[in-house]
Amino acid sequence: MSSLNLNEDQQDCLQEIINVAMGQASDQLARYLDTFVYLKVPNIEQVSAQSLSMTLNPDEQAVAVVSQGFFGFEGIRGEALLMYQPKDSDRLADLLGYEPEEQSVEEQIIDLSSILTTTFLNVFATQINNQMSYSAPRLLSSSKTTISEHIEQQAYNWDLALKVKISYQVTDYSFNCDMILLIPESAIINIKTVIDRILEEY
Amino acid sequence: MALHNIGATISDKLNTGVLIVDLEFNIVEWNRFLQVHANKTPDEVIGQSNFAVFPELPKKWFSRKLSSVVQLRTQNFCSWEQRHHLFELPHTRQITTDSHFMAQNCTFLPIESEDGELTHICILIEDATDVCHYQSKLGKALEELALSNRIDGLTQIFNRKHWEECLAKEFSRARRYSHGIALIMFDLDHFKLLNDNHGHQCGDAVLIEVAKKVKSLLRICDLFGRYGGEEFAVILPETDLSGAKDVASRIRQSIDEIVIKFQDENIRISASVGVAMITENDKHYEDLIHNSDVALYRAKDAGRNIVCVANESEDCFL
Repeated sequence: MSSLNLNEDQQDCLQEIINVAMGQASDQLARYLDTFVYLKVPNIEQVSAQSLSMTLNPDEQAVAVVSQGFFGFEGIRGEALLMYQPKDSDRLADLLGYEPEEQSVEEQIIDLSSILTTTFLNVFATQINNQMSYSAPRLLSSSKTTISEHIEQQAYNWDLALKVKISYQVTDYSFNCDMILLIPESAIINIKTVIDRILEEY
Repeated sequence: MALHNIGATISDKLNTGVLIVDLEFNIVEWNRFLQVHANKTPDEVIGQSNFAVFPELPKKWFSRKLSSVVQLRTQNFCSWEQRHHLFELPHTRQITTDSHFMAQNCTFLPIESEDGELTHICILIEDATDVCHYQSKLGKALEELALSNRIDGLTQIFNRKHWEECLAKEFSRARRYSHGIALIMFDLDHFKLLNDNHGHQCGDAVLIEVAKKVKSLLRICDLFGRYGGEEFAVILPETDLSGAKDVASRIRQSIDEIVIKFQDENIRISASVGVAMITENDKHYEDLIHNSDVALYRAKDAGRNIVCVANESEDCFL
């Protein structure tokens, strides 16, 4: 387990790469959505399968959870979860530039998820000289249950994951959502190799 | 074969549609899958506007979708689960599914030239008809399962379990907002005797008829269930005592009027009815059941085929 933990230098380095990627992603999103997009300082931590649902604000109601897989060279892979709360979805069509009757709420949520995930991860991949591919985004569940119920419905075959949580805020549309990147155990060692290489180059 | 041709050959062997458009949405290239399914010649397609060749595309939506690919230089997706299809194409299970058009998963990819300039958009169209077909069958099965979990098989009204869940919900809502809620419970008189004399098939026919008749008297918001063998219960949300008494009286009367023809015999039946209103003392929904049950047994004691109201010791009526 200890070999999977990021040391302080590795953690700082990853944090820095993410910060830069967030800056560029928020700039691109702002231009595309024509409004300011704020990304809050990310939170990076190691989570176990048992504790995952506990770390995701377990009591909050989620109107939807969207999952999208990502995979790049050098064994960098993982799953992005986008979490929305009921109050977040009111003005999505407006934000995305669609007429409300053109898209169902589900489609808006999936569309936005894909845009947020791929925009951020593309920039992130460029930072580490990589290139990402994505699976199609999928709505895991859209009933009004708490987030932890959504997550507990899933069965896992992993023990540990690296979790990066980034919160998005679009104040003009009073819209918030959380993007949670989960990098499974088998890929953590690969991301550590990449981070070590970057640290050496400095 | 020259190596650079292999890509094109494989593209033509794929069971996925490949459509490449320029930034004005004019079609630059397509593969065999699309050509065959769209049943058009290259002359009609190459160089033409995407919207002219496929007029079924939602133009505004499509343009906005592709603009995200161009501006953010990232891929975008469209799933059959939210939008059954974009392109009106036939599919390969015309005989064994009821789907008219091919259900599609579409992917929109930015294509950059060697100097990093975005020049084209590639649209991949995957046939998801099979998945869509089985998914909707599964959905239907789950719906039926959920329904049969709520319904009493014989009488087709709510079963005890679901009815009690409804009562728990309605009760706590009524308490929270200080609204009135009434409960009517009724039991068919001498039902055991009817079964003994005429057989259980006759008893079943009576239960079905009673459920049907009573259901026709109720409002849409009333919740009607089979509580036990020959005992039924009706939840009346947002109802005051006089309204509840009125419904109870009509239930008793209409059951009294039922005549069932069974093996050339005219079978008649009656019911004893108990009514209870929610009171300040009722903390749990079980209290309401208890009170109407007590009223129901007073009706039985008073000679049956009568309505009694809980907590009104002398108030029994027809």
